[in-house]
Amino acid sequence: MQTLNLRVNGQPIRLDLDERTLLVDVLRQHLGLTGTHVGCDTTQCGCCTVLMNGRNVKACTVLAVQAQDAEVTTIEGLAGPQGQPHPVQEAFSQCHALQCGFCTPGMVMATVGLLQACPRPTREQIVEGLEGNLCRCTGYLNIAKAVEQAAQTLGEGQA
Amino acid sequence: MSTTVNLAQPARKEDARLVSGTGAFTSDHVTPDALHLAVVRSVHAHARLRAVDISQAAQAPGVHWVITAQDLDAAGVQGIPTPYTVKNQDGSDQRVVRMPALAREAVHFVGQPIVFVVADTPWQAQDAAELVMVDYEPLEAVVDPRAAVQPGAPVLHAQAPNNLSAHFAVGDAAAVQAVFDQAPLVSRLTVNSQRLMGVPMEPRAVVARHDAATGVTTVYSPSQGINGLKGFLTALTGLPAEQLRLENHDVGGSFGLRSGAYSEHAGVIFASRRLGKPVAWVGSRSESFLSDWHGRALSLEGEIALDRSGRMLAIRFTDWVEVGAYNAMMSTFIGTRNLSITMGGVYDVGALCMQSRMVYTNTTPMSAYRGAGRPDIAYAIERLVDFAAHEHGFDPVALRRQNFITPEAFPYKTALGTVYDRCESERLMNRALQVADHAGFEQRRQAAAQRGRLRGLGLSTFLESSGAGGAPKDQVRARFGADGRLTLFGVTGPSGQGHETSFAQIIATHLGWPPERVNYRASDPAEQLVGNGTGGSRSLYGAGSAIANLCQRIPEVLASQAASLLGVAQVTWSQGAWHAGDRSLSLADCIDQTPAERRSQWDLLGEATSGVTYPNGCHVAEVEIDPQTGTTELIQYVAIDDLGKVISPQLVQGQVHGGVVQGWGQAFCEQVVYDESGQLLTGSFMDYALPRLGDVQRIVNETIEVPTTLNLLGSKGVGESGCTGSLPALANAVMSALRPHGVNAMDMPFTPEKVWRAVQGR
Repeated sequence: MQTLNLRVNGQPIRLDLDERTLLVDVLRQHLGLTGTHVGCDTTQCGCCTVLMNGRNVKACTVLAVQAQDAEVTTIEGLAGPQGQPHPVQEAFSQCHALQCGFCTPGMVMATVGLLQACPRPTREQIVEGLEGNLCRCTGYLNIAKAVEQAAQTLGEGQA
Repeated sequence: MSTTVNLAQPARKEDARLVSGTGAFTSDHVTPDALHLAVVRSVHAHARLRAVDISQAAQAPGVHWVITAQDLDAAGVQGIPTPYTVKNQDGSDQRVVRMPALAREAVHFVGQPIVFVVADTPWQAQDAAELVMVDYEPLEAVVDPRAAVQPGAPVLHAQAPNNLSAHFAVGDAAAVQAVFDQAPLVSRLTVNSQRLMGVPMEPRAVVARHDAATGVTTVYSPSQGINGLKGFLTALTGLPAEQLRLENHDVGGSFGLRSGAYSEHAGVIFASRRLGKPVAWVGSRSESFLSDWHGRALSLEGEIALDRSGRMLAIRFTDWVEVGAYNAMMSTFIGTRNLSITMGGVYDVGALCMQSRMVYTNTTPMSAYRGAGRPDIAYAIERLVDFAAHEHGFDPVALRRQNFITPEAFPYKTALGTVYDRCESERLMNRALQVADHAGFEQRRQAAAQRGRLRGLGLSTFLESSGAGGAPKDQVRARFGADGRLTLFGVTGPSGQGHETSFAQIIATHLGWPPERVNYRASDPAEQLVGNGTGGSRSLYGAGSAIANLCQRIPEVLASQAASLLGVAQVTWSQGAWHAGDRSLSLADCIDQTPAERRSQWDLLGEATSGVTYPNGCHVAEVEIDPQTGTTELIQYVAIDDLGKVISPQLVQGQVHGGVVQGWGQAFCEQVVYDESGQLLTGSFMDYALPRLGDVQRIVNETIEVPTTLNLLGSKGVGESGCTGSLPALANAVMSALRPHGVNAMDMPFTPEKVWRAVQGR
């Protein structure tokens, strides 16, 4: 067993865990944060994307102990203090960038990470930034549009 | 009437929970007290099971029950249901081999379940599953359907000594032969619609919770509608329907894979019933690749006869249909009815016939994947027509135009007896060619050639058959709750289509009731309703028509209450309100002023019977191929669709985008590959290529509404038109680019390697 200390969505967490526990299992099973989804077992689909210390990671391929002392943000931690949706969440909905919604939390988190690293992405940078996230429903055209819209909204917010 | 897509609509009702991570998918229902089930799967494609030793596994830490085929037999489990069968062409019944929930004496595909292990944690279940000792006697396997029917081929099932499940035929073969004998021009083309994975992003999962006091087991499982799944689960488990209660919340994609019962349903249900605790199986993606029913796997040998003017005289198909290792779910429906129902396409062809051989192979059983045979036959016809045009020197556009069924000919009965209600193919094609700037293509082709690239333009003019469904009608019940909201209860279970949004839109349009005060609950178990699940692109017009009927019922049933609130004897309903003299009362005011207990007494049931109808369209694809690398870039895709009456342009566009890109996936990258021994070589996303963001950058879609009279809404359905139109449009575009290099035919997927070899002549 191993003791894990980390912050998830701003909350300090302390857990005793089997060393082989994955970060995604901590989030889903131990903390009940079921918005982070598991869509594959080979780190390909991106449904489990979360932010760890401000960068995108696929939580299915991070051992929980690798998140020792880390700051993790999940889809549940994106909304503002009054519960208002994050501009990326709003853009996905407004652009009809989701259908079944299973890939959506991962897509949204990957977009948040992308826009933090690259606030005004070109179409090529969007393609590269989201190449690790699969969607079977939308055909991605509206996802690309949502990323562009969110970039614009976030850019205006900072201006 | 032509509509331009106006996407300035409010966000979908579904979105708030799905973008915030508060949706409820099946694995989200796994509670901390749940036991976990793991599956021991066959590692061989074909083997006799000499012995299965579970003794070590049963002793392993945390293990509660190791379930064998004998346990399930003792519990009365029946095996995987096969809902649709046919007669052979000689009048005999087709052979049906039901897949046992757990293998008994033999295994017939890699991934077939042999033993279930139930333990406290997923790890314990998995660790114990690895202690199950299966003594296999490997047998020779066969994976190619044409090889499987040859004498001496390995035999899967003793009751089918030639591996043939069915030899189906439809149409007057002798009359068709007579036409071919006399025809001056004949073309032949075999196309393969390769085996695919449906790949909904939510892997398959089942959670069951048994209540010993009532004897009822509640089952959480992705589904397309509970009535259908419940029927299949009772057929699988042998349990009476009243002992099963199904919960259906968010479903992470379906595409045809979620309609039926799988082995794991039986394991989880019986484990929960015996052990008295919740039991969960959450499949890995690897398990999905191995054991979700696969799709397509059809080889279609087409022949077309024309006269010298280009008039189509006859079309004949000989089809090879893979069943997989067992008859599971919809494979017969796909290989017979769905391949033949629209076999003449949008053309007026006097003679049609088809035969299909349905063949067992040592592969995962087949079932429906988006379109379920209809995209495949549309692909085969539109490739054949294009191929014939070039072979005999006709312009492909003119050849189509010459042979379209004309608008005044509808309702049109095909030579196979299908009745198409109404479509206007020439009008759609004209618009598509205009939007795609067909006239300017030659100039663009030459410009591309200057840059050393091969440009191609391909089109498809197609129709497909949306589903009648198995249930005789669709019902939707409404309740005005204590919270002042209108809740609709229906059977059809959404998996991304946006039922909550479009159904609320129908209510708002007809009743003036605010859409934000509408809920849709797919298949609340308390409701005993008749209806179909999603499938065959039918939910909008099936359940939607029931809602349209409900919108007529509600003002009638509530009229006396409205009259009493207005203090009059009689009211009339129009424009979303009741009227008496100069006074009026909106539905919302009526509800708000009526006590909750009174509202709960209203019996508000809408229902409708909707016939089969025919979404149709013209799609045009333009591509550029780099001859140095073999890569194909999709420059532009134009989709002009007649979907009948459109309720939500935004949702329609989403379905078109998704369908077209799934078609792109089949055309350019997706394929399930088995080696000769039946081992699956494409068992993960590293080997099975799914479309990614950026692969398709430009789709222009428009709808032209030619409403149907076969349902109350006038809608024809949209779910499957995207992939139906895109397979032939994309393939014809690639062939258009490659034809100058002497390439007239090629099978999907058009991978860079395959295209490069064709261009380079290697």
